[in-house]
Amino acid sequence: MITRMVPRLLKHICLRFVTNLFPAPHMPPSLTDALAEPAALTPPVPVGQRFRGRLNYDRAKCIGCRLCLRVCPANATDYIPEEKKILIHNDRCCFCAQCTEICPVKCLTMSGDCMISSYARKESVVTDTGPVQTDVKA
Amino acid sequence: MAAIFMLFLKFFAGVALLALVVVLALLFDGADRVAHARMQRRVGPPVFQPVYDILKLAGKENIVPRRAARFFFMLAPWLALVSTLMVFLYIPVGSFPAVLGTEGDMILIVYLLALSGVAMAVGGFASGNPIASIGAGREITLMMSYEFPLAIVITTMAWVAHKCGMEGSPFSLETFAASSVWDAVGKAGDFGLLCLFLSLVFVVPGEIGKGPMDIPEAKTEILDGFIIEYSGVNLALFKITFALRSFAMAAFVTSLFVPASFAGLLGGWGFAAAVLDFLLYWVKVFVVQMVFVTLMRTAFGRLKIWQASRFYVMRVAGLSIAGMLLLSIDVLTR
Amino acid sequence: MSTTYKVPIGPVHVGLKEPVTAWLELDGERIVGARVRPGAIHRGIEFMARERNPIQVIYLSERICGICSFSHVLCFIRAIEDLAGMTVPVRGQYIRTLVLELERVHSHLLWAGVACYTIGFDSAFHLGMQLRERVMDILELLTGNRVNYGVATFGGVRWDVTPELAKAMREMIRYYRREFTPFRDIVMDDPIAHARMRGVGVLTGEEAVRYSATGPTARASGLRIDLRKSSPYEAYGDIPVEPIVPQDHFGAARGDVLDRFAVRVMEVYQSLDVLEKVLDGLPEGPYAAEANLNKVLASLKKAEGTGWGIIEAPRGDDTHVVHLKGGDENVYWWKVRAPTYANAVSWPLMFRGNELADAPLIINSIDPCISCMERMMVTDGRGDPRVVTRAELLERCRRKTFDMMGRRA
Repeated sequence: MITRMVPRLLKHICLRFVTNLFPAPHMPPSLTDALAEPAALTPPVPVGQRFRGRLNYDRAKCIGCRLCLRVCPANATDYIPEEKKILIHNDRCCFCAQCTEICPVKCLTMSGDCMISSYARKESVVTDTGPVQTDVKA
Repeated sequence: MAAIFMLFLKFFAGVALLALVVVLALLFDGADRVAHARMQRRVGPPVFQPVYDILKLAGKENIVPRRAARFFFMLAPWLALVSTLMVFLYIPVGSFPAVLGTEGDMILIVYLLALSGVAMAVGGFASGNPIASIGAGREITLMMSYEFPLAIVITTMAWVAHKCGMEGSPFSLETFAASSVWDAVGKAGDFGLLCLFLSLVFVVPGEIGKGPMDIPEAKTEILDGFIIEYSGVNLALFKITFALRSFAMAAFVTSLFVPASFAGLLGGWGFAAAVLDFLLYWVKVFVVQMVFVTLMRTAFGRLKIWQASRFYVMRVAGLSIAGMLLLSIDVLTR
Repeated sequence: MSTTYKVPIGPVHVGLKEPVTAWLELDGERIVGARVRPGAIHRGIEFMARERNPIQVIYLSERICGICSFSHVLCFIRAIEDLAGMTVPVRGQYIRTLVLELERVHSHLLWAGVACYTIGFDSAFHLGMQLRERVMDILELLTGNRVNYGVATFGGVRWDVTPELAKAMREMIRYYRREFTPFRDIVMDDPIAHARMRGVGVLTGEEAVRYSATGPTARASGLRIDLRKSSPYEAYGDIPVEPIVPQDHFGAARGDVLDRFAVRVMEVYQSLDVLEKVLDGLPEGPYAAEANLNKVLASLKKAEGTGWGIIEAPRGDDTHVVHLKGGDENVYWWKVRAPTYANAVSWPLMFRGNELADAPLIINSIDPCISCMERMMVTDGRGDPRVVTRAELLERCRRKTFDMMGRRA
């Protein structure tokens, strides 16, 4: 009846739990209100240094070479012929960072931003995020 | 006139007790889930989660499968719940006598629990789902296996109570709650009682379908077994029944083997002692449930049905017979 | 009137992690017949590959399977490297080996936990999951992701092992040497776990040969097969790996679920040893042959021929065959044979004489990856999948080959 598991379980009671908590203990009455105050929520688990999040796109730097379209496995980048620029559908992106590697002018970079889900389809289209100072993967 | 008054008193006491018991059983179930989670280093649900579940399920529709035997399918949850609830009318709480203590005894308690088990199995068979039928079949097999050691434990206890001259009817639980059976026997008898106690403890998971004996429900094998087709109010009734069954078994073990009370210490039947005993009783039940239900179900995997059956028929029955022999020797040689 | 009845396990079942159906014919609790019907999770990945160039297909092959994703990636990359005649710097080879072994550790830990969950031993399952977190953290530090790492590329790897990472990995190895043994002892000494796994789902060595079982499933039946020894690739030429068979450690190979558990547990220790040796012997130098992706793409566009990649994935040997056509940027055809496909054919044998209670455990015991396995599906065009016979399949293959030869000519 006493197996190796029993003392282990009793030891576990004294230890702290290892679960990563949900952002809120209960479903808030209004999700929008709860998200407006991020301080009240349990912070997310920090991501690693090499984490690849939402793409940054420096539109001014882009030369419209279309190499990123060639390597994107998920067809997440669209070319705009009139402006010779691209736009990125973040909801299709598989975060492989292949486009940032092939970009000759390095106008594409990966950010550490992981909270990118959204109800609005248009919000996940990146057209321009401006120049980026730091590259997360550096 | 006095008889009618007593009848009313019993009726109200019974209703109050049953309401208390349902709430406590659900709370203990919640505590069980929290402790289970903490032992696995998880956070676990809130203590009131079973209550929330019941409230949510109670607001949902009953779905009856097309191939189900409708009458038995709808009857089974009520039958299971009512027979389990009735158990508490025959269990003395602390120093208070059982509400219907004069009308029934231990044998009735065992068979009320068996009746609710049969009702669950009937519900499984009636739902017309092969998986539910397997679950129901397993429930019946398991019941047949643990009834034998359970019967030995109860008859031996009654025989000891009778031979040792404990006050009250030998088959009544009040006899064991009022005075400690551990004091009534000698050294060999204590070992015998320990054997019986362990046998009863091993029967508990089988009786309530948890721990290593959750074979009729076996989530990863037969998808919750006989309750697979149940939904809405019927499922809520079954959930309450499950909580009540583990509560009832813990209460039964407590009444039979853990008779410690304040009244015994203070040597009187004062009102304060009675109230303290009433509270102490639930604490004892809680401890028993934590150790013999929660810890057991957390620490072990699930046996197969023939392994469980063999465990009860060979090992536990052997243990209870050993207990019976030790007690017989002790009582007869004194 | 027949005394048997049929019960389906799956396609959606608590005990199964991926959709597959096993129709069991039961006599009481005893299994008298079993039919396994896959076909619920076919995704047509090879077809998608035909409109993508090899660099894009790397990330497609990653999504064949979430658990052994690096094995599939590496297998595909090795196939391409084989046909294009690319070489990989030694440091790149070592880092590939490192990720392969990290993946093996996390895959085996996951499996050990799931096996415990299948027998209702939830506490051991949670213990296994907690242990697995550490290797997932290391993988995240190394590659940026917990699954689908995106770490390999043609001619090397994309990210280097820094000294801090090497230190964290050594720490992880020490952590597992310390913490994994209690988990192993808890499960393997537990009387109930023993009762549930011993003698269940037996596959003898002879049958394992006949039904071409691979990986830990075959090794648990006592076969000394391991591609890391018989046909070393990457850094395994420098780091010898002996196949782990139960007869070396426990006296005899019974080929049951407990043996499969034991083999996987011992392989975790072996992987830790390999990881340590890789970290010790990690040579200096470049980790990728060609940093310029445009050059890689251009050289692959010129390449023509069929390449093979065969490696030892955590579940058995994984085979990719790729054909590229000169002047065509996209992959011409691609064939994937995942280890589960070889192991799943022995399910009916393992079911013999067991009970319904064992069925999910037996299905899980080969560590099935159904989405890896399902590489083909036949429909009549109205969305009604059916199974074709061997003769029919052969006939269809021939017709297809003739079609393709005609198109090529």
